[in-house]
Formats: sequence, C-alpha cells, structure tokens
Amino acid sequence: MTQDSSDAELLRAVAAEDMEALHLLHGRHAPWLRLRLTRRCADPDVVDAAIQDTFVAIWRDARRYRETRADPAAWIWTIAIRRLVGNLRGPGHRWVGGIPEQDIETVPSAEDLVLLRVEHGDLGEALDRLSPELRAVIQATAIDGLTVKEAARCLGVAEGTAKTRLMRARARLRELLA
Amino acid sequence: MTSKETAAAWHVDKDLFDAYANGRLTPSRVMAVDAHLQACAVCRAAVPLDASWLDRSWSRVNEAVLAVRPSRVERALGNVGIPEHRVRLLAATPALRWSWLLATAAVLAFGVAAAYTGQAGARTTLLLFLVFAPVLPVLAVATAYGPPADPMHEITSATPTAGPSLVLWRAAAVVGVSMAMGAVAAVLLPGPGWWAAAWLLPAFLLCVSTLALATVLPLAAAAAVFGGLWLFVVGGVAIAGSPVQPLFGPVTQVGYLAAAFVATTVLTVRRRRLDPGETR
Repeated sequence: MTQDSSDAELLRAVAAEDMEALHLLHGRHAPWLRLRLTRRCADPDVVDAAIQDTFVAIWRDARRYRETRADPAAWIWTIAIRRLVGNLRGPGHRWVGGIPEQDIETVPSAEDLVLLRVEHGDLGEALDRLSPELRAVIQATAIDGLTVKEAARCLGVAEGTAKTRLMRARARLRELLA
Repeated sequence: MTSKETAAAWHVDKDLFDAYANGRLTPSRVMAVDAHLQACAVCRAAVPLDASWLDRSWSRVNEAVLAVRPSRVERALGNVGIPEHRVRLLAATPALRWSWLLATAAVLAFGVAAAYTGQAGARTTLLLFLVFAPVLPVLAVATAYGPPADPMHEITSATPTAGPSLVLWRAAAVVGVSMAMGAVAAVLLPGPGWWAAAWLLPAFLLCVSTLALATVLPLAAAAAVFGGLWLFVVGGVAIAGSPVQPLFGPVTQVGYLAAAFVATTVLTVRRRRLDPGETR
C-alpha cells in the first residue's frame, strides 16, 4: 500500500486488517472531513470525536463497502456526517450513528449535477434567496446525503415537516429559476 | 461521479477554502464547495493541512482500533451491573483460570462417575464427596492467584489496586464458579436431596476462615491449615468407621454458621492485612 493506491484498494486492505492502509486513508480523508464537518458544528471536540469514530467504523466495517455502488469518498462522508449527527444528538440518540444500511448511489442526483455548476448559474442566486429553513433541508439531503428521516432528526423537526419543506424548497427553486 | 468529469470545470483555490472555513461565503457557494469536494479528489487533497492535528487525530484512531474489545464474558458480567474496571480485573487472567477450573471439574466428575459405577460403594463415594467438596473452593482460592500460581504477582502487588479488595474480588470470582460446579455435581449424585446442599456451609466456613487466617499467614499456608484440618478431622472420622452424617446434620450446620460469622468478623477487622503477594 502506497500513497498512490486508490481509495478502493485501501479499503480492501483495511478490510484485511492492514493498519498502514487505514493510516493512509486517514491522512487522505481526515483533513477535508474536518473542514466540512467544522462548517456544520462549531465545537472542535465534537468534530474530532466524529472523525475518530468514522475511522474506527471504517476499520470495523470496511468489508461492507461495495466498490460498484458508491464512491469511497462519498461512503466515508456518509459515515462521518452520521457520526457527527449521532454525537450531536447525544448518547441516547445513537439511531443515526451507524454505517448506512444501503450504499448510496454512485449516480449523482439531479440536485448534485446542478449544484456543481452553481458557481456560474442563476441557481446560486436562487439558493441564496431561499429561506434558511428550506435551504437547510436541501443542504442536509442533497449535499450531506442524509435521508429525509435523518435530515428531520438533524434539524429537530418532524419527518413530515422535513418532507413538506423539501417539496416547498424544490417548488420555490423552480419558481425562482423560471 | 469521478474527478475526471468535473476536473475541467473549476477547482477550489486557497482563498475559497479560507472563505469557506471562515464562513464568509454565501449559502449557495458553500453548497457548491461541499458538492465539489465530494466529487473532486484533487480538491480534497488540496485542503489546507494541519499536520499536528492530523497526527493527534491518527493516534486517537490508532488507540481506539487497537483497544481490546471486551469478550462475551466481560459483557455478560457488565450487564449484571459489576463496574467495568472490576469486570476487566476478573476477566484479565484467563491463563490462570483454566488450571483450577479443569482441576475442579475433573475431581467432581470423577466423584460423580465413581458414585454411579459402583453401587456398593455409592455410600462411600457420597461420603468422599461430602468430605472433599468443601475443600475444593478453598484450594481454588489458594491456588488460583498469589506467588506460586501467578507469575505476575510481584507486579500486581506493586499496583494501587493490590490489597484486600483485589484478593476478595478474585476470591469471590473463584469461589462463585467452583461453588456452582460443586452444586451441579451434588445434584447429579445419587442420595437424599438435602445432601446435595450439605457441603455448602462447610465450604463457606472454610473459605472465610482461610481468608481470615491469610491476614497472618500467606494465603497458600492458610488454605493448607484449614483444608488440612478439615480433611484430618472429617477424613479421620470416616476412616475410623464412625458415621460422618452428624458432621453435616442440623446441629453442626448451625455451628458452621456461627464459626463462619466469627471468621467473617475477624476478616473484616483485619482486612487491611490481607495481601497475598507478601511473604510474612
């Protein structure tokens, strides 16, 4: 295992209990995980704990990663954001702390595709004009890859409310982009 | 999505990273950076690095990964409500556990088997069982830990946990298991039902007396004194041909209880002197 090994190769090595591979994965992914998680939680201790939990989870569950179904970085991110949300909700709310039950799709959603081009489009402006609670739902589902149920827990609202907000956000975006 | 598809579009530069980290971006641009980082390995690798943080984070991950996961026995004990550090203490010496566990099992199995093979000798075997069963927990306490059996005893006795509580916790674990094994063997024996429990009080008395005497003598010597005394008296009575049953009758059982009470009091008063690692 070297610096040039791909994430998928490293995950396979981790599944075979190769500590050096885990170290390489950590060096490669911990910095950006920290950057993104810090945007979502201002407490550095909680972020550090989430990152630590993430790599411990990768060590234990690397064999559950399926190469064909998800990008390794997306898989790792999903674990990390769930750990963060799980830690934020406290020990009594471990419901969201685990490995995703089904691997998330590799094919990017329509929202992702659009967001990648947000730099140069009208979408950026439209998103900025969206009300904060509608934007938060889009953020949690489209960007952070949480399910609507998890997003609802994360935002502290009922699942139905989150669903409604997501629909309203989409409708509002269509309206603003029209 | 691979990095190739998006590589041509744009990349996050240092200023944008700074603005992202410090919250100076509009929400839509934050989302754009998020989505781009997810898809672009080049930008993920370009995230500003804090080497000392990374090292600290890795050492914690490494520590957590290397930490021994509690065994099933430990988890079961933990569920019963015993504190975690006590559980670890009891479960930490598997190499020592097997010797006395197997020895106790072998002796009991032999006794039960002998009782069934020779019906004529069944009464004798039952008596033998009653004579030997109370000594087994004492032997277990004496040989499971301490200088002859535990190669770690010098290190252990230098730790802050050494002393009465350590001895008592270990003794409780050993006695608990060997008593349970004795009870199983007693139930398997032919004979009147109450004999199956007749040995329990003498066994308790012998254990407590041994621990009480261990405040003066080394633990193994104390066990030898009381184990030997028991075997000498009861065995002597049996060999002399007198009936052994009175030794397990109601009156003597009350006597055992009273003696056990005295021994417990002695042990409680002198508990500070209880330290099997020391030679006196």
